[in-house]
Amino acid sequence: MAEFSPGLEGVVAAETAVSEVDGANGRLIYRGGYLIEDLVPVVSYEEVAYLLWHGELPNEKELDALRQQMTAARTLNKSARGALTAMDPATDPMDTLRTVVSAQGAARTLTKPTLDEAITLTAVFPTIVGAAWRRRQGKDVVEPRQDLGHAANLLWMMNGEEPVAEKAHWVDTYLVLLADHGLNASTFAARVVASTGSDLTSCVVGAIAALKGPAHGGATLAARNMLDKIGSADNAEKWLTDAHARHERFSGFGHRVYRTYDPRAKILREMAQTAAPELHKTAARTEEVALRILHEAHPDRPNATNVDFWASVVLTGAGMPKELFTTLFATSRVAGWTAHVLESLSDLRLIRPASRWIGPEPGKKPLQLAKR
Amino acid sequence: MSSNSGYVPGLEGVVASQTAISMVDGQNGRLVYQGYVIADLAEEMSFEEVAFLLWEGRLPNRAELDALSLELANHRTLTQAANIALDALPADTDPMDVLRSVVSVQGVEHRLAKPTVPLAIHATASIPTILAMFHRRQLGLAPVKPRADLGHAANYLYMMDARESSPEIVRALNTYLVLLADHGMNASTFTARVIASTESDLTSALVGAIGALKGPAHGGAPSAVIEQLELIGAADDAETWMRDARRRKEKFMGFGHRVYRVYDPRAKILKEMCRRMNPKFYALGVRVEEIALRILHEEHPERPQSTNVEFYSAGVLQAIGLPKEYFTPTFAAARVSGWSAHVLEQAAHNRIIRPQSEYIGPEPRKPVPLGDRS
Repeated sequence: MAEFSPGLEGVVAAETAVSEVDGANGRLIYRGGYLIEDLVPVVSYEEVAYLLWHGELPNEKELDALRQQMTAARTLNKSARGALTAMDPATDPMDTLRTVVSAQGAARTLTKPTLDEAITLTAVFPTIVGAAWRRRQGKDVVEPRQDLGHAANLLWMMNGEEPVAEKAHWVDTYLVLLADHGLNASTFAARVVASTGSDLTSCVVGAIAALKGPAHGGATLAARNMLDKIGSADNAEKWLTDAHARHERFSGFGHRVYRTYDPRAKILREMAQTAAPELHKTAARTEEVALRILHEAHPDRPNATNVDFWASVVLTGAGMPKELFTTLFATSRVAGWTAHVLESLSDLRLIRPASRWIGPEPGKKPLQLAKR
Repeated sequence: MSSNSGYVPGLEGVVASQTAISMVDGQNGRLVYQGYVIADLAEEMSFEEVAFLLWEGRLPNRAELDALSLELANHRTLTQAANIALDALPADTDPMDVLRSVVSVQGVEHRLAKPTVPLAIHATASIPTILAMFHRRQLGLAPVKPRADLGHAANYLYMMDARESSPEIVRALNTYLVLLADHGMNASTFTARVIASTESDLTSALVGAIGALKGPAHGGAPSAVIEQLELIGAADDAETWMRDARRRKEKFMGFGHRVYRVYDPRAKILKEMCRRMNPKFYALGVRVEEIALRILHEEHPERPQSTNVEFYSAGVLQAIGLPKEYFTPTFAAARVSGWSAHVLEQAAHNRIIRPQSEYIGPEPRKPVPLGDRS
């Protein structure tokens, strides 16, 4: 029997052209061979989604067609509305997202995942996130706007007012940066579900379920919570030293893959200066102290700031409530999840690993109930 | 098996977890739950006892079993939100999509909760209710309230049909639920563990598992067995139909398994039940099985070809009176016990499951601005 690799670390579970995390060199490559830092200045989220699905950037005509298809798919169907309004407004927004996506995709018969479905599923996420936020605040749900791009419409549906261009741009950049990232746990979950021949909604619901975990998508919120506790740049040294003495983990640091600075974190750190100048000061000092403490404690380990840390600052600057952070991650990553599922269809094979038995020796005889 | 990069298609043979919940001994055709061989449990134990075994690692005594039965009976009702969400779905929705959505809403929380045995019990208790309520709605019938005095299998059938089933039928469903309760690191269980490995909640893990079970390569095939037998029609026509089917590259439903190299021990028990309970299915089924194995062996003499659990499951579930659209959901009603046991085990010894991928795309290049793209 093969070796047991806890967490499947180092095990290659898929071949993919959707994205590549080159941890040794601190590079994130999106489909087509584009480095993330080259894409960010020139593309919108819709273009990146197109790229992940098709393998090429769209021309103007193709982008217009995609935008039209997405704006037309922003409405919730009756099942999804029913599920949404049935839930307590205080429900965890990730649970709302998981449930409403499931209901929106409930179908009469099983169908193979298609690109059209990927587009319509991606298009509807901001509607669900916006509605969850409005309900949480006891406000009426806002209908989507046809004339706004993906990021701007998300802000519109949350706030009921058109966002200033700058905020929409920050959100759009965040969505571009998080759209895919190799075989992370949620993407892997989506691929495992797809491998059984299941439908796209089931894959995406499984991915949302995995992203919800604090060890995965929940890390952005944890980073922001830590920054809230630290409060100010002046307090960073004391707070982090105390936390380290209590063996608390620093949220927003460390990653299994990157051995150098995460290229996404670098872009977000830069943006954070304009997006959230005050929080940026606290965060920059926190980062400096945290990396120093971690390096002193483990000089052998590469300890870099991860994307969650600086994403929490930029999202805050864009006016995003921290309760929605994980759902925003999902709103971005759904493009990657669906691209991976579509890619896997060309050579579909059931993902069914083995397990190692560590239980009692087989063959013990059960006692009758009365004798136990 | 693996490419130069070390890519292992389907993770075949890769050990992804250590577990004490169940073991599939494919060489010897044994399925073991917590040390007990399935044949020793299948017809002796209630589903409730086996669920306790999977969750707690030992069989319950009388007091523990009574407590579990009570806890299950007390959680057969859906929340108001789940009721509303269920009613909002069109009556012709795939019951697996109903299950995925309503399990999701039944389990919503204000904050993230760690997986626990009580939560596993509550999820297990609610699944028959979801299925029965939706089934009755499809038929335009009023829902039936659960009966606290009935066991898990008996209550499921009672809520489906609004009448008590015969002891033989209840016993058959109970055996089916025991047989399907767990099965090593199958795709849905693995999905549940991947989700749990991010420290997500139990409901999330179960919803993901339901999504995986839905696929025809996993739990979605038992209804296809019935459909194929209907197409074959009569035992005398079976060989002709099946040879033609192979020429059309059609798959035989209910055959082949990655793990078993000999007859699946569950299929053996279900086959015998089928013989007693569903003679019509059995008569055609045995003939089809014999031909299918012969043809598959002719095509691939090197491959071990065996009947899988779904083939005779279909006959048993049909004899129980479940509509074929409810075969896979009933599989979920059994497997939820195993899924939740694996989630609890994963949470107790957690490490995030994050394998690698091998990049097969183009070398890095520069993007062209929108206006300049052809």
